[in-house]
Amino acid sequence: MNAHTPRLLTEGETGLIEAFKAAEWLPGREDVGDIRAAAINAIAAHGLPTRRVEAFHYTDLRALLPAGFKPSKRPAIAEASAAMTDYERLVSAVRIPLVNGHYFADIAGDCPQGVSIVPTFLNSGLGAGAFDAADAVDTVNSAFVTDGVAVTVSKDVAVDAIMTFAHSYVGEAGGIAATRNSVTVEDGATATMVDRSCGNDALAYLRSTVTELTVGEGAELTYILSIEEGDAAQRLANLKATLAKDAVLNLFVLNAGGKLVRQELDFSVDGENAALNISGVNLMGGEAHIDVTSRIYHRVPNTTAEETFRNVCTGRGRGVFQGQIRVAQPAQLTDARMACNTLLLSDDCDFSAKPELEIFADDVQCAHGATVADLEPSYLFYLRARGISEDAARRILVKAFVNEVVEELENETLVEALEGVIDTWMVRHV
Amino acid sequence: MLEIKNLHVRIEEDGTEILRGLNLSVKAGEVAAIMGPNGSGKSTLSYVLSGKEDYEVTEGSITYNGIDLLEMDVSERAAAGVFLAFQYPVEIPGVPTMTFLKEAMNAQRKERGEDELTTPDFIKRVRAAAADLKIDFNMLKRPVNVGFSGGEKKRAEILQMALLEPKLCILDETDSGLDIDALKIVSDGVNHLRDPNRAVIVITHYQRLLDHIVPDAVHVLSKGQIVKSGDKDLALELEEKGYADIIAAAA
Repeated sequence: MNAHTPRLLTEGETGLIEAFKAAEWLPGREDVGDIRAAAINAIAAHGLPTRRVEAFHYTDLRALLPAGFKPSKRPAIAEASAAMTDYERLVSAVRIPLVNGHYFADIAGDCPQGVSIVPTFLNSGLGAGAFDAADAVDTVNSAFVTDGVAVTVSKDVAVDAIMTFAHSYVGEAGGIAATRNSVTVEDGATATMVDRSCGNDALAYLRSTVTELTVGEGAELTYILSIEEGDAAQRLANLKATLAKDAVLNLFVLNAGGKLVRQELDFSVDGENAALNISGVNLMGGEAHIDVTSRIYHRVPNTTAEETFRNVCTGRGRGVFQGQIRVAQPAQLTDARMACNTLLLSDDCDFSAKPELEIFADDVQCAHGATVADLEPSYLFYLRARGISEDAARRILVKAFVNEVVEELENETLVEALEGVIDTWMVRHV
Repeated sequence: MLEIKNLHVRIEEDGTEILRGLNLSVKAGEVAAIMGPNGSGKSTLSYVLSGKEDYEVTEGSITYNGIDLLEMDVSERAAAGVFLAFQYPVEIPGVPTMTFLKEAMNAQRKERGEDELTTPDFIKRVRAAAADLKIDFNMLKRPVNVGFSGGEKKRAEILQMALLEPKLCILDETDSGLDIDALKIVSDGVNHLRDPNRAVIVITHYQRLLDHIVPDAVHVLSKGQIVKSGDKDLALELEEKGYADIIAAAA
């Protein structure tokens, strides 16, 4: 029996516990209520993770998460509608509005043929149900989740239209916008989804999302996670994916906003010949702290995973990339590659990169590599010697660095849209 | 157009003095050749003129069209019409050549208060200039200088020069690494740009280039100073006697 060590809770932790007590209105069946209570008790008992927890070594959540957040009530439809009007479209897409953590079916786009978009989830329990108490991101979400949408693409359906989770935040500062969504692409189906989060730069809010992707046998899902949170926003998010036999998941992650972002990516490669292609661009400027923590678990033989991140740090920005690859004993002939390339553009920014390989199979290929550099001075000089100003020359070179991964997305509409978001960030920070 | 007086320059990092009281005057419309042995300071002169930050000017002045060139940074000088054709043009992965050319042309136009080029107008200009220099237009779809041969890189430099229409062109050993045919094409490109309002400084080791680009003046650089100046015949004399004799005679 362990002696219970009394520990002092931080204001951030107490804030969450108090906010939970005051929010009796949080929706859901009785069993959902039990899960919520268990989650908040876990926070009360263990607190939020500190650097001593390996997975949070570079992101001391206990120290970084500020106080003062409480669950955001459902905004009036007029307010949600206005939020969507202001929400400039990334690409032409079927919009699934999630405003302050609440789904607004009335202003959603028309559901494409062969797809169902259903707000079922809180009535049927918390999705996969239990949360993982060891995972703070999951725990916070389980306590405060207010809504969720399940998107299902039926077997063998190829969806042409792009669908978008349009996360937004409006109204007063201090709200928690928590959703738990799922996307299921059934056997043989193909779909493209954008998952985008935006918010007003002037508002401090806490976004908590857990999204579960299921890619069926022979199915292919292209998923764009575009994180454009406001400057004062906190984000704790987890994207979980499972891949069946012959499944393909192409995931692109763009980080271009938020003050504190912890974005976890959890992949379970469960079926033979499944292919996981992950690429992304993380842009850290101003005072941003952006942490991308990825875990890939190869469970069966003959699967591949390719993961490439390009990171740009400026100002006092801090970036973290933790990339774990686990290969189970039966998962022979796994081919997994991970690359993390970073540009450090100021004296006060920093970036931490950590690979983690756990390999129990003996016939596999697993590679990882990380680079850190400043812009090449001879390139800068050459551009400037042609009359291009220093700022413009820096932007050209940064853009070249990140575009190499963006352009690998073959969909030109998506490439252009993402380049637009990157350009906007660069004008502010480079 | 260009007046360099008593120029002393050292390498910022280790303080080595390279130029030691250099005087040079180049008039509009003139083609001036600067010749000299290895290590005499030829490339340093080209970098100091273009504004590279690794050098420190400790004494002297550079006046360009009546303005103090040393007060301007690299891109301001370029926008004001100073163009350096690099001895070793760098390869810049990920930056498409066409994007680069358009940015450069528009940056300079903006500096001069002119409107940006429209895309069709831009493409038309690039196509015409590329054809003159026998550059395959498809090559310009690649990133800047990436995968270009030595000769292609030099031709690409002259292409940029033709498009940017500078007032003062500095060619830093543009002949190095060129075969005879390429030398001819590059020289024709430069000759095409000779203009009463434009000055050209040709930096070279060899007289051969000066058969194609006939200079109005030849200056011999040695140990950071111009030790002898003359007309095009001086280049022939150098070719015949070597640097050592001429420099010894001048000392």
